[in-house]
Amino acid sequence: MITLLKVEWLKIKNYTAFIILSSFFAVGVVTVNYIILTVNKNIISQSQAVVLTGKFSPFQFDKTWQTTSYASGWLLLLPALMIIILITNEFTFRTHRQNILDGWSRQQFIHVKIMMALLIAFLSAILVFFTALAFGFSSGTSFSTHGISHVGFFFLKALSYNMIALLIGVLIRRTGFAIGVFFIYMGVENFISQLLDVLSVRLRSRNNLDLGSMGDYLPMNSADGMLTFPENPLKAMTKGVMPTDYPWLVLSLCIAYMLFFYWLTVNRMVKTDL
Amino acid sequence: MSILSIENIYKNYGSVKALKGVSFNVPKGSVFGILGPNGSGKTTMLGIIMDILKPTSGTYKLLNEVPSEKHRRQIGTFLETPNFYHYLSAERNLHISAAIKGRGVEDIPRVLEMVNLTQRKKSRFSTFSLGMKQRLAIASCLLGNPSVLILDEPTNGLDPVGIAEIRALIKKLQLEGTTIIMASHLLDEVEKVCTHVAILKKGELVATGGVNEILVNEDIVEIGAANLSALQLSVEQFSGYTSKKVEDNLIQLFYPIGTINLEGINRHFFNEGIVLNHLQLKRKSLESKFMELTN
Repeated sequence: MITLLKVEWLKIKNYTAFIILSSFFAVGVVTVNYIILTVNKNIISQSQAVVLTGKFSPFQFDKTWQTTSYASGWLLLLPALMIIILITNEFTFRTHRQNILDGWSRQQFIHVKIMMALLIAFLSAILVFFTALAFGFSSGTSFSTHGISHVGFFFLKALSYNMIALLIGVLIRRTGFAIGVFFIYMGVENFISQLLDVLSVRLRSRNNLDLGSMGDYLPMNSADGMLTFPENPLKAMTKGVMPTDYPWLVLSLCIAYMLFFYWLTVNRMVKTDL
Repeated sequence: MSILSIENIYKNYGSVKALKGVSFNVPKGSVFGILGPNGSGKTTMLGIIMDILKPTSGTYKLLNEVPSEKHRRQIGTFLETPNFYHYLSAERNLHISAAIKGRGVEDIPRVLEMVNLTQRKKSRFSTFSLGMKQRLAIASCLLGNPSVLILDEPTNGLDPVGIAEIRALIKKLQLEGTTIIMASHLLDEVEKVCTHVAILKKGELVATGGVNEILVNEDIVEIGAANLSALQLSVEQFSGYTSKKVEDNLIQLFYPIGTINLEGINRHFFNEGIVLNHLQLKRKSLESKFMELTN
């Protein structure tokens, strides 16, 4: 696999779009967290709202892991776009054929791409880890690993987005079209998810039936659902009406969806004409 | 030993039957031409052999074994179009090909030189002309000196000098013992470089064998006289030709290549009391033979 990854590295190391998107993502992760820090410090803490929410510092240890993971999660579209571009480039340049002609098996071709999705998710999580660490230390609180599992949830979310991107890339094959479908899918899923969430609240209040936040049971939203903003006084106030969260169910669904997408992606590459 | 043997390959695209039970063998050391008009299934067949396309049914063997990626690494393949990363230079693209083939990069300067691209090795692939792209694809095939080459329309987009260079290269490689499988619709190309040929027509194998057996040229003598019916009667008494045909008030006599004696023909009819007003030797072109086989 290392040999295969070296070939992938040869493909991307001089690719401008890859360099730009990675840089945007890296800068974005730091920036978005910095914005939250500044907004919290200069606006929320200074405003009347503080009376309502109480004193809340999102980057103190142990909250920093969750805050950074949650906030950086919004930027995971960038690595997903990168994955779409990397796979659809192969179809556009017809290099997917040439790689096979030159001596890769179809399995090797698709598995190295899956490995790239995994690696990009892993490196994103590493970046989030160090960002959380830096913001945590800058808060002046003492180091704690409590809540570090959120970096793991971030990794799963990144991988989940990347796997959806890879599947769409393999199915659609054309870059622009695939990116369009990715965004449309995201919009449609979020819309359905919102409806399901409303339904969940109603079921709980009217029928006394608590099925959890059903919006989180969809593929992208199950990945999103594990990452939430840290508990704070404002959030605590809404607890009474919200359905119970079942993190184990959402986590299991997220992993199950990923395995299903993995199977679809490999199957598509191995069985069809290229 | 057969480098490639194909057994009863079928390929359907929905209701379209692209290949209908094609079988043939490619002997070691041959330059094997796969000839056929556009859409006859040449590229489809090569695609199947190289696992780009899945056959509907049938079997094939490469180097006497069930094909795998291990075999593909030993074969230099150029299929249909030059496929490279547009944003990378020629040299970097070859680095990728070499890495996939499991060959070292030390062979890259040699293959670039062979196709006259050394000067442009740092240029991006997207800046190349069609001919240069084609040459880069051939350079990639030559990486690591493979013992088998599969070339699909290798001279497409090349200028006459480029075509002659590729032809010379193919001949040179054959002398060194390389087996070359080449798909083409250019008869001239096949006639000039191939030792064996398979002719495809609408997905069916029309003929396969040595070039001299399949694309054998015949000589034709065209004769005419004022009295065509008398001439026709006299032709019946005449021998030496293999077949005859009447066309536009002229009679065509077909002879095995190099056996025609025009003087003898003229004398025969004159002695029969028929004065020929038309006597012309025509060589049957490869093109008309091809048309005959594929139409």
